[in-house]
Amino acid sequence: MDVSPVGVPAVHRPVVEAEPGLVAHALSPAGAAARAALARRTRRRLLAVALVLAGALGFLVYKVLTSAIVYFKTTSQAVAERAQLGSSTFQIEGVVVAGTLRHRVGGTLDFSIRGGGATVPVENTGAPPQLFQANVPVVLVGHFVGGSDTFASDQILVKHSNAYIAAHPGRVRGPTGKVVR
Amino acid sequence: MSLTTTPTGPGRAGTAVPPAQPTALGPTGGSGVGSVPGRETVRQRRSGRDAAVTATGALALVGVVATVWLGLWVTPPDRFMGNLVRLLYIHPSIAWVMYVCYGVAFLASLLYLWPRTRSLRFDKLAGASSEVGVVFTGLTLVTGSIWGRPTWGVWWTWDPLLTTTALLFVLYLGYLAVRRIPGEPEVCARRSAIAALVAFVDVPICYFSVLWWRSLHQAPTVADPITGKTYVHGSMAWTLLLSFVTFTLVYVWLVARRYRLFVLAEREGDEGLALAIEERRAESLQGHA
Repeated sequence: MDVSPVGVPAVHRPVVEAEPGLVAHALSPAGAAARAALARRTRRRLLAVALVLAGALGFLVYKVLTSAIVYFKTTSQAVAERAQLGSSTFQIEGVVVAGTLRHRVGGTLDFSIRGGGATVPVENTGAPPQLFQANVPVVLVGHFVGGSDTFASDQILVKHSNAYIAAHPGRVRGPTGKVVR
Repeated sequence: MSLTTTPTGPGRAGTAVPPAQPTALGPTGGSGVGSVPGRETVRQRRSGRDAAVTATGALALVGVVATVWLGLWVTPPDRFMGNLVRLLYIHPSIAWVMYVCYGVAFLASLLYLWPRTRSLRFDKLAGASSEVGVVFTGLTLVTGSIWGRPTWGVWWTWDPLLTTTALLFVLYLGYLAVRRIPGEPEVCARRSAIAALVAFVDVPICYFSVLWWRSLHQAPTVADPITGKTYVHGSMAWTLLLSFVTFTLVYVWLVARRYRLFVLAEREGDEGLALAIEERRAESLQGHA
């Protein structure tokens, strides 16, 4: 390379030497080998990704078919199927009957749920969620106690509707323009 | 127009690629930088589109600030869930954008597969939209989980809507993986478009799952598919509406930016090497002058 003093233009600036790696990669056999290695790596990585995704997909489809399609039984349905259900674990849905909540010593919470004209007494162990209260629809995870119609639940899920109403309805008007109390 | 058409395919036409290559690769070398007729027009069109995207981004930002302000300070707490209701201003709108993303990807893929409208532009649009869609599906799952813990009492449950949403996430991750399988652009685009149509099958299942099956999750808040009504009070409803508009703008901005990245990456792949060598040559030729 030529060292140019000030004022003397550079006569020769070879292009290839400026970026040897770049040109070698594009044109030389070494570049071809590198590209083949890259292609192999890409293939292997895609295969790994495909396996993971297929596993996740299979699991989720299984979940859709087993637990999502019939996520819960309604109260009346569970009562009607009492004999077949035995003491198997399932989800039951109903509305908490007002005036039935009793806290027992030892942490068990007793209440009843109703739905479709049927009522089921419930003994729940474990802490209920913060929004749990009378008259709300709930989904309970548990099983019927052998030889009785009582449902032993170990988890309460509170259902929520798609209605959102202000806590101070006197200050806002409802969607119909009417003040909701 | 001829300047923007490169030999790589019809999709390159009209994407406003600055025509650096024809000049740089000319037999006489890169002597005419900036002297190509039509280059200014292309640049003006490009900058006009950039301005529109920037304006969308700015508007989206203003919307986000307004939504946060209204959602956290102005709107009242809910009668039943108290301050937890404030998640109403992000979770449904994020889920809405998720549906928009996959809807756009579905339409773009159909347009790609339809011979009369076949263009790699639609392939890029489908790719950009689904990528944003996967991000918003992740956000839907996360915000839903955060909301579910205090209201329902659990972070997660195998409810039909939740399960099919998780399925959406995995399906579209798979679609994005399919997009990365190497190959000729047209082959890749066709394969991806078919994958997008397959993945889309879960979208209506997801949306209608709360109606078809029993779920813990409530029916869609905005325009309940059964009654077509919205049961949200006063300022809460307006903030909810604003959040939908805002997140839609965020979507448009993200997709525009992602699309641009696709265009640039494609140019880098196609022309980058040749351009780099030619630019070097041009430099050396300028050195001679």
